[in-house]
Amino acid sequence: MINDFLFIAASNPVTEIAHEFGVQPRYILSQIISFLVVLAILYFGAFKKILSTLDDRQRKIESGLKYADEMKLKLAESEKRQQETLREASQKAALMVDEARATAKDYLEKQTREAGERAEQILKKAEEAITLERKKMLAEVRGEIARLVVMTSSKVLARELSDDERSRFNSAAARELTSSN
Amino acid sequence: MRGSKQIRNTAKKLLQMSLENGEVSAERVSAVLNSLKAHPPRQYKAVLRGYLSLIRRELALSQAVVEHAGPLSGEILQSVESAFSSIYGRSVTAVAKDNPDLIAGLRIRVGSDVYDASIAQRLHELARAAN
Repeated sequence: MINDFLFIAASNPVTEIAHEFGVQPRYILSQIISFLVVLAILYFGAFKKILSTLDDRQRKIESGLKYADEMKLKLAESEKRQQETLREASQKAALMVDEARATAKDYLEKQTREAGERAEQILKKAEEAITLERKKMLAEVRGEIARLVVMTSSKVLARELSDDERSRFNSAAARELTSSN
Repeated sequence: MRGSKQIRNTAKKLLQMSLENGEVSAERVSAVLNSLKAHPPRQYKAVLRGYLSLIRRELALSQAVVEHAGPLSGEILQSVESAFSSIYGRSVTAVAKDNPDLIAGLRIRVGSDVYDASIAQRLHELARAAN
């Protein structure tokens, strides 16, 4: 049977290739065992360490990529916060400018109002002073006129009254003083 | 200060001694002066000045100075004496004094009291009312 197999194999390209590589049916078992031994040695002695190293590198790469992603996220968040901060700062600045404008407007209105009030007070005081001066002047004129009238009347009476009229007036004055007291 | 008060009190006592029936008596004044001359008190001149001042004031209260402008009859003087004697409760003598500034009317002065019913006073009141 083996010979049949060999015969068939001798005419098969696969057999030819096996023959080229030194595969002998009689040594096939030992070769398989040798291969398995070499395979085990290579697996436990080299492949496992290489695979472990590759796994470590893979983990590091993944960790690096993950860190990069986190950094990207953080950067994006930071940019977002920065934008928000800038927007808030801009809003606050606009608010402050509005408040400053409103304050300036109020101050201007207050100053204008106070200036108007001061002007009114000055006008009022001036009017009062004018009125007072006018009253004083009128009083002086009235007093002067009264003084002139009295002086003129005195002179006229002193010149025009006769002794008889003076005597009658004296009698009337005596009656007035003696009867009233 | 105490000295002047003492002088005033002494002068007042001397005045009281000089009055007779509430009026200054010439005899009593002479007696007081003689007594002062015989027994001069402390600060003799000051006491005499105070006494003179009080006598003048008392005499002024007994005298009605009637200032007038124009003729003044004796009847008017008598009526003034009668009326002011009744007012002050003592004998008041009227003394006439011409004052042309009054224009017409009377101004009677008894002590420090003044009663005015003259044209000058009325014109003065008119001028004051006009002011």
